[in-house]
Parts: sequence; structure tokens; C-alpha cells
Amino acid sequence: MTAVSIHLPDNYLVEEQTIGSWIFTHDHKRVALLFFASITFFFFIGGFAATLIRVHLVTPQGDLLQPDIYNRMFTMHGIVMVWFFLIPSIPTTMGNFLVPLMIGAHDLAFPRLNIASWHVFNLSGFVLLYALFMGGIDTGWTFYTPFSTAYANGYVILAVVAVFINGFSTIMTALNFVVTIHRLRAPGMYWTRLPLFIWAIYATSAVMLLATPVLAMSLVLIALERLLGVGVFDPALGGDPLLFQHLFWFYSHPAVYIMILPAMGVVSELVTCFARKRIFGYTGMTYALLAIAVFGFLVWGHHMFTAGISLYSGIVFSLMSFLVAVPSAIKVFNWTATLHKGSIAFDAPMLYALGFIGLFTMGGLTGLVVATLGLDVHLTDTYFVIAHFHYIMVGGAVSAYFGGLHYWWPKITGRMYPEIWARGAAILMFLGFNLTFFPQFILGYLGMPRRYYAYAPEWQVWNVLSSAGASILAFAYLLPLFYLTWSLLRGSRAAPNPWQATGLEWQAESPPPKDNFLRTPTVTAGPYEYDAATGVTIAQNGTVYG
Amino acid sequence: MPQQAEAATLGIWVFLATEVLFFSGMLLAYAVLRKAYPAGFAEASRETKIVIGTINTAVLLTSSATMAWAVHAAEAGHRRLLAWLLAATAALGLVFLALKGVEYSQEYDEHLVPGLNFSSASPHEHAIELFYFLYFGLTGIHALHLTIGIVVVAVVAVRAWRAAFAPAYYTPVEITGLYWHFVDLVWIFLYPLIYLNGRSGG
Amino acid sequence: MSKALRHLALAWLGLVLLLVLTLGLSYLPLGSANIVVALTIAMAKGVIVVLIFMKLAHSPPLTWIFAGAGLFWLALLFGLSFTDYATRAGFPPQP
Repeated sequence: MTAVSIHLPDNYLVEEQTIGSWIFTHDHKRVALLFFASITFFFFIGGFAATLIRVHLVTPQGDLLQPDIYNRMFTMHGIVMVWFFLIPSIPTTMGNFLVPLMIGAHDLAFPRLNIASWHVFNLSGFVLLYALFMGGIDTGWTFYTPFSTAYANGYVILAVVAVFINGFSTIMTALNFVVTIHRLRAPGMYWTRLPLFIWAIYATSAVMLLATPVLAMSLVLIALERLLGVGVFDPALGGDPLLFQHLFWFYSHPAVYIMILPAMGVVSELVTCFARKRIFGYTGMTYALLAIAVFGFLVWGHHMFTAGISLYSGIVFSLMSFLVAVPSAIKVFNWTATLHKGSIAFDAPMLYALGFIGLFTMGGLTGLVVATLGLDVHLTDTYFVIAHFHYIMVGGAVSAYFGGLHYWWPKITGRMYPEIWARGAAILMFLGFNLTFFPQFILGYLGMPRRYYAYAPEWQVWNVLSSAGASILAFAYLLPLFYLTWSLLRGSRAAPNPWQATGLEWQAESPPPKDNFLRTPTVTAGPYEYDAATGVTIAQNGTVYG
Repeated sequence: MPQQAEAATLGIWVFLATEVLFFSGMLLAYAVLRKAYPAGFAEASRETKIVIGTINTAVLLTSSATMAWAVHAAEAGHRRLLAWLLAATAALGLVFLALKGVEYSQEYDEHLVPGLNFSSASPHEHAIELFYFLYFGLTGIHALHLTIGIVVVAVVAVRAWRAAFAPAYYTPVEITGLYWHFVDLVWIFLYPLIYLNGRSGG
Repeated sequence: MSKALRHLALAWLGLVLLLVLTLGLSYLPLGSANIVVALTIAMAKGVIVVLIFMKLAHSPPLTWIFAGAGLFWLALLFGLSFTDYATRAGFPPQP
């Protein structure tokens, strides 16, 4: 290991060191780090709520928390994890850091909008924390009416205002990405040469832009109805409580694609690099990303199969839900085909990517189970659904998040992380995750309802297994906190391209200078010119390795 | 720089697309409830102030014309004309808000404000209350957007007066104009939905 | 008056005329056609605002796509929601 005080050449980290130069920065790389700090903070808040829930559920009668507090815990867990961790996670950290670098630009199209987005995010977080400390809410993260509008005690209006403001942050970020990708690509960076991570960010941004405003309106309508005592969801006036669910899920289903599309982009980058092989079916992969983005808007009614929508509507949404699985499956097939006869290195990022492929597939297949009308009657609002979405969001998206974090860590910080610790954490995470959530499939099948503070005693063994898994998972999440921090102080100095990867981001220094590139690069190669047979790699600006 | 002007214009169009979807939620509520309670919604519409509504529509359409003319003036480098046209646009916006205020106060007097003092003797009382919830919701959010527009137009007008723009650079005028036209566009659709329903019946 | 300005003036005139038209037609008892007529006229006014005032007619195709995306997604929201509202037996609730 090299000495502590290493002189890193002038880079974005050391450019200027005042607080003002950070919190009013125009540098997309600094904005990425600021977001990283914010979302990590909220990850641990959401994780704290999850910890309390899993500890509480060790006993069937629920000894730890009062029922009312239990309800507030799962509500807080959902709101924080969805809007303050998962949705921003990859886009605001890796997206912000990498999009300009990967396309050969000096920054995003609207740098001031970028830092403003971070401040808006923090404002929304502050409002939410205020609501939580004042006692929180117990409506579930889904704010269903008429409970949220008429009966819930707690700070519903404050909570929906927090999420409303958070939506602006999302829209600002997405707008920036869309315009940047259209307008700031370096010469030679045709659409057909874009890394799949960029395509994924683009697709995600389109979904963010089209879905979030509808959420905003659904929240406004809740706030108004709660404030005025009358509204369009009120059955006493002839309104429809299900209208809220239509509006809410029109956003919230695409929201899960907002969470998974960037993760898929990351996985594509990791799989090609660590298999030393061009991605199988690049064109199919880009169409699949776009198809997921579009089809994801057509399925929202599958959250309402038993809520009272018409059977005809249920059939339409069930069919759409089956169709949306197709592009996802294509991606899994293509990743697998990429791995086939590749020269696979099992570095930590690859372990996370492999974990993603397996866990996402399980989550996705169980999605088809609940998309089946007849089965959903039995499984809806049970732990089966909880297991299904955690397999995708945690097993999938969070794995990809950690994979990308490790992969680009040398680029972002100029340091290498300790490989053995990282592999250990990845394996521990995979094991802990499965022990936590696989028993929940069984619990759901057996009929255990979600959002209940107590359960039938015969289900205890599965709950204990799940909680045991959760403790392993929590430890696995804490490990990177320690060894990544350690790497900042004593990690070995990273070369510009420690992975010999092909992306333009690896042609800049590690860490990059403030303006990314001295001269705008010219792109002469496709995104994944890895030749597994000869071991020759060609970066996108033409540099040859091996 | 032309690249930045292009980027800004693209950005504002993206933003306007999100605004379309923002209003869509409440418009869906309107569509669902009007389909469910056609008679009640028609009766409620008949009680709206069609004179004020129509004048306000004409006011906004004209303000869009002055705004578009202002962009033309900016392109041509006519500094004073630009500033006056922007001022006229903002002024027309204020006229709209003033008339809206008069309208709202009349509706308050007539006990048509849900959550405050709504009461109706009609057999369609509930549907009428739902209509007015949406009426105040839609026009209120529209008025909020209009107010933001007026402030932005006023700021741009002052900058124009101080010669901040030239034919080579008038991007803020352009994107303000696009936003303003969008606010007008929303109203163009709200007008028939709120004011014109049921006029031939009842 | 330059050509561009003449187009603006004609656009404004067209909008005002359409306003008068839609107002007048709303008093004719056309039954369920009233709403169709009113929204069609509104769309015509919208087309004038978008193409001429917002200069979409002279904008690149990408702008057309962004302009259309919002409307298309509005249509998706309405269309799929109405698979429920057009077929649900219990709505509107009968007293």
C-alpha cells in the first residue's frame, strides 16, 4: 500500500475547497458527490425503520412496537426508500458523475439547474424529516384514500408536500439528462455508439419526466381534500377513492422502472467489462430499455386488481403486465449470452452484476405470478408481493448500485477499494438478502398479510429466518461504509483505467480534472470493443489496450 | 451561443411536456366525474360567469399575441418595442387575474366554494360541489402558473429595457414566450370545459 | 408589415373568431355533439398557438416529438383509466 499523502494531480476534488465552492458548485462531479451524501443519509434512515420492523416481527404478537408506531415505521420505510434513496440513487450519483464523461462533454447542459436540484432534494428531505419527527404518518407510502384524506392522524399534508417538492428535484435532473444527451455528445458519439448506461439514463429520464407530474397532481388532490374536507375522492359526494389509485399508480408503477432502468444500464457496463466481451445484441438492448420505459406506463392497474376496478380493466392491465416482462427477459438473455464464452473476472463489481441477474430474474418471474389475475386474488397485499418487489428493488437495483459504486470508485476518488473486503461484502449481501426475502415468498403463499403488526404463530419460523437474514444484510451494507472510507485515506492510487474498460470516462484522469477533458475527445469506436479471443480492447476514443 | 439557445429551447419544451401531464391528473378527474354526473356538471357550468370567462379568454389570447410579437421584436433588435410589448403582456396577465378575482368573489358570495361555504338547493348538489372543487382547483393552479409567468415576463421586460438582449441573444425572451403560450393553451382547453357545458340546456 | 407579423396578426384574428364561434355554438342544442364541437374548436385554437405563436411549424422534428409526447401520454392516462371507468358496474354509485 502506498503512503497516505499522495499528490493527486489537479482534479475536481481539490479545485477549490471552500464550503461555498461545494454547495454552490456548477461541477456535475461535485453535485454527484453531494447527492451521494444525501441519499446515503436517507438510506440509513430507511434502513433503521426496516431494522425496527424486522426485529418487531420476530415474535408473532409483536412485542417491540405499538401497532400505531409499527404502521408509521413501514410508512416511513417506504417513503424514504422510494423517493429519498432508490429513485435518486443511480441517476443522481452515477448519472450525474458519468453522463458528461461518457459522452465526452465538459458538464451537463444546465449546471446551475443541477445544483439547484440538489438543494430542492434537501428541502424535500427536510420537510419529510420534520413530518417524521413530529410523529410521522401511518398511511403506507401509497397514501390510499379515504384513509389518508379523511381518517389518518398525522402529518399527511406535510408528508405529501415533501414528496411533491422531491418530485421537482427528479424532474430537474431528468430534464438536464435529456437535453445533455441530445445536444452535448462529442463528435463521433452517434446514438448507436452510446454506452448502454447512457441509454438507460435517457430512458429513465423520459419516464421521470412523464410520470412525476401526475404524482404531483395526485398529491395536490390529497392535500386539498384533507384540507377542505371535500374532494374528488370522497364517496360521500359521489367521488371515487379509486381515482386516487389510478392517478397514484400511473406514476408509481413507472417509478419502479425509474429504479430498475439505471440499474440495468450499470449491469450492462459491468458484464461487458468483466467478461471482456462485447454486449450481445446491443440494438436489442437499447430497444428493450425504451420498450420497458414505454410499456411500464401501461400496466398500473395491476396494483388495483382487487381494489374494485372492473374485470375488463383487470384483463387489459394483466395482459399489459405480461407484455412488459418481455423486454426485461430479453435483457437477461442478452447478459447471459454476453457471459457465455467470455473471459470472466470475479471482481466485486462483477459479483454484484451476477447477483443482479439472478435476483432480478427471480423478482421478475414472481412479477408474472402476481400479474396473473386469479393468483393475485390470493397473493395481493401479502408478503409474496413484498418479496417480489424487494427482489427487484433490493436484490436488483441496490446490487447494481453497489456494483457501479465499486466499479467507478477509482474514477470518482482516484483510489482503489480493497478487493477482498469488497468481494466478501458482495457475497454476504447476496446471502443475507436471500435469507431475508426468500422466506417472505413462502409467508405470502401461506397467506401472511403485509402491513400487519402481528401474525399467526405458525408463521414465526419464516419470520425469524427473515429477520436473521436482515441482520446479515445490514452488516453487509455497513461493511462498504467502512472499507470505502478506509480506501479514501489509505487506498492505493488508481490509474486512469484500472479495468481497461472502453468507455470515454476511463480516458480522463482518476479523479478527473474539473472540465473532464482537456480537449473534447473524438469518438471512433463503438461502446464495447472487447475482443475476448485476442484480448485486445479498443476504447471509444481509439486508444488500444492489450 | 447558439448551442445554448438550442439547449434552452429544448429544455423548456421538455418542461412544458411535464406541465401537460401535471394538468392531466385533474383533467382526468374532471372527465371521470363529468361522465358520471352529466346533468350535475351541466347545471354547475351554467352557473359559471360566462361573460368574465369569455373576456378573460380574449385577454389571454391577446396577451399571447403581444408575447409572440415581443419575440419578433427581440429577433429584430427593436429594444423599446420589445420592452413595451413584454409590459403589455404582463399587464394583460394582470387584467386576467383581476377579473378572476372578481369572479372568485362573486362565487364566494353565491356559496359556491367547497370547503368554505358551499351550499346548493339543487338535487345535483354533490355533483355541483365536485364541479366547483375542480373549477377552483384547475383555475387556481392555472392562475398560479399565470402569476409566475407575469413575474418572469416583468423581469424580462425590465432586462429588455436595460438592453440585455440583441438579435444575437434573446433566449430568455424566447423561452419566457413559450411558457406564456403554454399557460394560454391550458386556458383554451379549460374555457369550454368550465364555461360552455350545458349552455344549450337547462 | 412583415410577413411574420402578418401571420401573427392573422393568428390572433383566427383565435378571436374561433372564440366567438365556440361561444355561439355552445348555445345550440346539439346534445352530445356540443362537447365534441367545443373541444374540436379548442384544438384548432391550440394548433394555432402551438404552430404559429410557439413556432413549432419552424422547429426541428425533435421538438415536435417532445411537444407530442405530453399529449400522447395524456391520452394513455385517459384511455387506460377509462378501461375501468367505462366498464365498472359500481360507478357512478347509485343512491
